[in-house]
Amino acid sequence: MSSKKLVTDGRPARNKEGKAREHAPFLFLLPALLVVFAVLIFPIIFSLIVSTFDWPLSEGAGARRFVGLGNYIGLTKDPEFWNSLKLQLGFIFVAIPLELLLGFAAALLLNREFFGARLVRSLLLLPVFFLPILSGMTWRFMLQPRYGPLNALLLKLGAPEITWLGNPVTAYIAIIIQDIWRMWPFMFMLLYAGLTAIPQEMIEAAEIDGAGFWKKLRSVIIPLLTPTILTAILLRIIDALRVFSEVYVMTEGGPGTSTMLFSLYTHRQAFGYQKVGMASSMAIFLLILSIVFALTLVRKNMSLDVLEEKAGG
Amino acid sequence: MKKRTRTILTSTIIAIVAFLVLIIELYPIGITIVNGFRRDIIILSGQPFKLSQLTTRSYELVLKNPGFQLGMKNSIIIGLLSTGISVLIGAMASYGIARFRFGWRNSLAYSFLVFRMLPQISLVIALYLMFTNLGIRDTVGGITLAHTSFNVPYVIWLLLPFFTAVDKAYEEAAMVDGASRMGVFFRIFLPIVAPGLVVAAVFAFLNSWNEFLYALILTGVKAKTAPIAINGLIGGETLTWGQVCAAGTLMLVPVFIFTLGMQKFLIRGITAGGVKG
Repeated sequence: MSSKKLVTDGRPARNKEGKAREHAPFLFLLPALLVVFAVLIFPIIFSLIVSTFDWPLSEGAGARRFVGLGNYIGLTKDPEFWNSLKLQLGFIFVAIPLELLLGFAAALLLNREFFGARLVRSLLLLPVFFLPILSGMTWRFMLQPRYGPLNALLLKLGAPEITWLGNPVTAYIAIIIQDIWRMWPFMFMLLYAGLTAIPQEMIEAAEIDGAGFWKKLRSVIIPLLTPTILTAILLRIIDALRVFSEVYVMTEGGPGTSTMLFSLYTHRQAFGYQKVGMASSMAIFLLILSIVFALTLVRKNMSLDVLEEKAGG
Repeated sequence: MKKRTRTILTSTIIAIVAFLVLIIELYPIGITIVNGFRRDIIILSGQPFKLSQLTTRSYELVLKNPGFQLGMKNSIIIGLLSTGISVLIGAMASYGIARFRFGWRNSLAYSFLVFRMLPQISLVIALYLMFTNLGIRDTVGGITLAHTSFNVPYVIWLLLPFFTAVDKAYEEAAMVDGASRMGVFFRIFLPIVAPGLVVAAVFAFLNSWNEFLYALILTGVKAKTAPIAINGLIGGETLTWGQVCAAGTLMLVPVFIFTLGMQKFLIRGITAGGVKG
């Protein structure tokens, strides 16, 4: 990467075709750059601009007023904003560790051959690919009073019926359960792949040294899996920060604002309260947060170099 | 001998536990599929395992529902269009990154990766205002464009490992014969990486197929997609779970066919670029 001049295949471009070649990567990248500019970079710049305006959604340009950082300051004084941020962080801090724990346990359990092991491992992944809106819909059904299967089960066990989605606390628990249900197999999938990549000799060596299950786990498996675990957590955080559709379908943020996660509240600010400027400042806030996590992930993994080492180039 | 018996016993116990976990885990999906064939009155009777009087009536109703018909049609068109565009544009960009060395190569590649991870809610408000101004809100073209915003960066990173794994010798030979870079890319390189393109196309299609937030905000009546139509079926206090579940099951068909058919590529598929190698 030291030379600014274009080099193809490790050799300097030949003079004869030099000119045509110098434009080559640009030609290949141009369409993607145009798309990225039109639907990613421009909207981000536009959001930044809108976030400095008092911008009512459905009124004309005349109603817009420049307020500088007013929207951002307004956010810090908005209890609903703090509420959504709190709910969002709680969601992340409760759901992801539990997903990790379940996924890790399942990966350890299923990291051996038994009758039907392959089938179990593949079918377990189906919830990850279940459409988010269907997940929200299914859980809404499961948790219905009177006829929802979960309540039917609770009643059979002699427990009292719970109006899951009608009560602020249980509704919040419910959207977290929904996420855990859908995403722990994702953790399982990554950790299982990591586990199978651990050289068998290392585990056998520990066994020869007389290490029991917990010792093996602590001194061999967990240290070797740490990079995978960190990657999995980062991927899940980035994903959980933008949770919208499943919760929207399940509770629409209610009852009250008890499940109004960050993107649901942003949505309500823009299209419910019609405060587009305010909503844009929330959008920018979430954007920055996401970029921080995404950059951490990218820096940590640096996949491009790994790819080249693998390809021998 | 004793050790052998113990191993078999452990395996059996683990198999039983594993299948139990699997059954519980898949129950919500199972009940969705089953509800599509149950009469609403049975669904509302609260007997989650009762399987009598199965019927295809919910499917008939939902398939005759003009809103759902339109949503399905739009979802398929938008999915195919955005997949086609994203795979073409993404493959070109991926090739540019895989085969050329230039100063801003790393930063560019990593920016694409970061772009893939941006939350949609952060972009959708600006897109709504832009699309309203351009008059492309609630059009198939508009929502397709919105879907390319996540699919192009996604495809670029999904394809990179396929592309870097191809030996440069084929292209070099063709270039020596006087073919242009573009010619080499389209005629020599793309056929070689066809399997990778198929994987990218399948996952890009699923991304578009499953997408909800953009469709919710950027479409309304004409260009609404199937997930929006299903959301409409759930509505306030509706009790037509049978139809909702039938519609959901129809949406699940391509998802599960592709997921189970693409086992080998699943990790690459959902983490594209986010995981080493």
